[in-house]
Amino acid sequence: MRAPVAMRTPMVSARGLSKEYGSGAARVRAVRGLDLDVEAGETVAIIGPSGCGKSTLLYLLGGLERPTAGSLRLVDQPLEQLPEAGLARLRRHALGFVFQAFHLVDELTATENVELPLLLAGASPHRAHKRAADLLRSVGLADRAGHLPSALSGGQRQRVAIARALVNEPAVVLADEPTGNLDSEATTEVLRLFEQLRADGQTLVLVTHDERIAATADRLLTMRDGVLVDETRLSGGSGRSLGAITGLEE
Amino acid sequence: MGRLLLIWRLVRGDITRRRVQSLMLVVMIAATTATLTLSLALHGVTDSPFAHTRAATNGPDVSGLFEPDYHGTAGTLQQFKALRRAPGVIGSSGLFPITELELTYGGHKVRVHAEGRNSNRAAVDQPLLTAGQWTTPDGVVVERSFADALGVHVGDTIHLAGRALDVAGIAVTSAMATSDPLVWLDSSTLLALAGRSEPLWYALNLKLSDPAAAGTFAAAHNTPNAAWLFQSWQEIRADDSTAIADERQLLATGSVLLAIIAVAGIAVMVGGRMAEQTRRVGLLKAIGATPSLVALVLMAENLLLAAMGTIAGLAVGRVVAPALTNPGTSMLGNPGSPSLNANTVGLAAALAAVVAVAATGAPALRGARTSTIRALTDPARPPQRHDGIIDLSARLPVPLLLGLRLIARRPRRAELAIASVAIAVATFIATLMLRHTTVLGVKAAGNILAAAKQNNLDHVGNILSVILVVIAAINLLFTTWATVLDAQRPTALARSLGATPNQITGGLASAQLLPGLIAAIIGIPAGIVLYLAAGENPSQANPPILAMLAVIPATLFAIGILTAIPARIGANRPAAEVLRSE
Repeated sequence: MRAPVAMRTPMVSARGLSKEYGSGAARVRAVRGLDLDVEAGETVAIIGPSGCGKSTLLYLLGGLERPTAGSLRLVDQPLEQLPEAGLARLRRHALGFVFQAFHLVDELTATENVELPLLLAGASPHRAHKRAADLLRSVGLADRAGHLPSALSGGQRQRVAIARALVNEPAVVLADEPTGNLDSEATTEVLRLFEQLRADGQTLVLVTHDERIAATADRLLTMRDGVLVDETRLSGGSGRSLGAITGLEE
Repeated sequence: MGRLLLIWRLVRGDITRRRVQSLMLVVMIAATTATLTLSLALHGVTDSPFAHTRAATNGPDVSGLFEPDYHGTAGTLQQFKALRRAPGVIGSSGLFPITELELTYGGHKVRVHAEGRNSNRAAVDQPLLTAGQWTTPDGVVVERSFADALGVHVGDTIHLAGRALDVAGIAVTSAMATSDPLVWLDSSTLLALAGRSEPLWYALNLKLSDPAAAGTFAAAHNTPNAAWLFQSWQEIRADDSTAIADERQLLATGSVLLAIIAVAGIAVMVGGRMAEQTRRVGLLKAIGATPSLVALVLMAENLLLAAMGTIAGLAVGRVVAPALTNPGTSMLGNPGSPSLNANTVGLAAALAAVVAVAATGAPALRGARTSTIRALTDPARPPQRHDGIIDLSARLPVPLLLGLRLIARRPRRAELAIASVAIAVATFIATLMLRHTTVLGVKAAGNILAAAKQNNLDHVGNILSVILVVIAAINLLFTTWATVLDAQRPTALARSLGATPNQITGGLASAQLLPGLIAAIIGIPAGIVLYLAAGENPSQANPPILAMLAVIPATLFAIGILTAIPARIGANRPAAEVLRSE
């Protein structure tokens, strides 16, 4: 049973967050003075048209981009003062990424892809292997553990990527269009996993332009031209089956 | 005409867009062609100075030395002298007394052959003074290459068997190979010095009615156990040209090594931009270019660069050759610039064309065969997987884990890097051994001329080493950069999974350092083999083991320095940009 949202500690907190690219006439303001709080255990979906800055916002939250202005706290730690190595360590222990293009390492098996963050964090090969096997089992891919990404379907690849994002037990999972490259059946597989994550109290920030996926969140933020223009708190997300909400299953 | 214009525009556009790569390709082909030109041009360059000297000194067709204790016991001095009237002999000079004496000068102690002469001009073998005057009772004339090696000049005082003598003159001769230091003394002075302890030998110089038959004459009179030895002028010429023959052999070996390094470098460059080339092929085909036109564009570009490299290489070879083909001061004149005949130019151009076509044929053929859509969308070469390396790397620290896995993705690139660095290390080791031999030669009493010749060889070895090391360094930079570009996605992904920039830099650097370590280990024995292949004496090749082993950390240090900057640039490239682009 999850605690009420109002009582939870903010996992992510952004104030006046801005990101600009280029200069002069070529300057692009991808994110403009944005404020955002994400509570622990909350699932936040950010929707908006292509080019509105939602992916940039996600990369800012993950410390993969440096903001041009504003402040950002992740797991109560200010990001703007952290050096690159500090950001890397934070990503290693507190964040998990899920990408639209999966970004699995082509020459590594499913298990080896999932092990990778643990090995980067200095875990023993034995521990990494065991944890990866457990996670692959939990995402229903135990029988595909030894397969290369090229031998997996799109949905299976994304499930491997989700297992990889969870392997270090991160405080926050950031997902960038996680179903953008998937067909309906694979989308359902992935949504089930996110449903499970929500049920387990995993903090999740999800960028999508698919409103059906966004409908599964606790809170829906709409972004346009680099700013959040609308916020909707969804009540049904936690109570109903995701497939039923999205209409992807009976 | 329109087709030619299109090809020209595409070729010019691509060369302009990747100026640095194009320049490096030209440099590599130029270096290879220049070295090949040098080794080809050295053939026969010694003939001219020897012929010049022989004519100027009225050199003998056959030189004889009566050395009863050295060669054998059959025959008397009178019988040796009687050969002046042997059939076919039309002129002679001698007998000239010769003895071995110890010469001391400026800290050197050298055993020399001292030949007694008088003030009269000999009929055959008239040593030509290049400085000073002919022998006096208190003076000595020193053979020019020996004088140069020793550093003596006219007016200096030397000691022969303890007696002080002034250097009266410096001269050249074609009467005997100058492997032994030679001086001329007044006969009476020589006999006085020789009377102390040393044995006397005698020299006899003969002119034959048929100089071409000198070898037959010498062989006929070099009977078993004879107390003398005759040398034909052809043998003397061959002995004198030994140094250049060694240089030629070294350069020929060097040009082969350079060709291998050039192919390795070009293959890395081409492989590094294979994906880009394949997409370009797809684009050309998509807008209507036929497979043959696509192949023609790619080939034309590389052949143009190869032609530029060949022309530059031939020019450099022609300019540099005189510095390497100096026959030494034992001969008169200079061989000058070697002529670039049709064979030399043809062979150099063919080599460059083969290098260019062999290295660039793959994308052209791939482009011609691949479907347009695949060429536009597929990565040109999927990464490879090696179970053993992936398992092993999981047990290593993060930089080594990343480095090993990057190597495993593109093993051919690592193999080319190993070949390139190993060749540079091998050449360096061979040069180190040559240098050590030279030092030994200089130290060895009486071997000062051999040491001077060895020094020339050492000089050629140094030049080759520098060229090979520079080309290998360029290769290494390109290999690192190709690795950085190829690893953009995995390294950006590793960043997103928590790898620090230092770990990524370490990974990219170790992807070069690990092959570099293997190359250094292979390069040491390969260098010894190279030294022996260059015809050097293995008994003299014992440079300090520590100096040779120090090449391993030195190589790794050099690789570390060379790869640090590209690796750091690669590690600092914004990960989000790469991850978002796909």
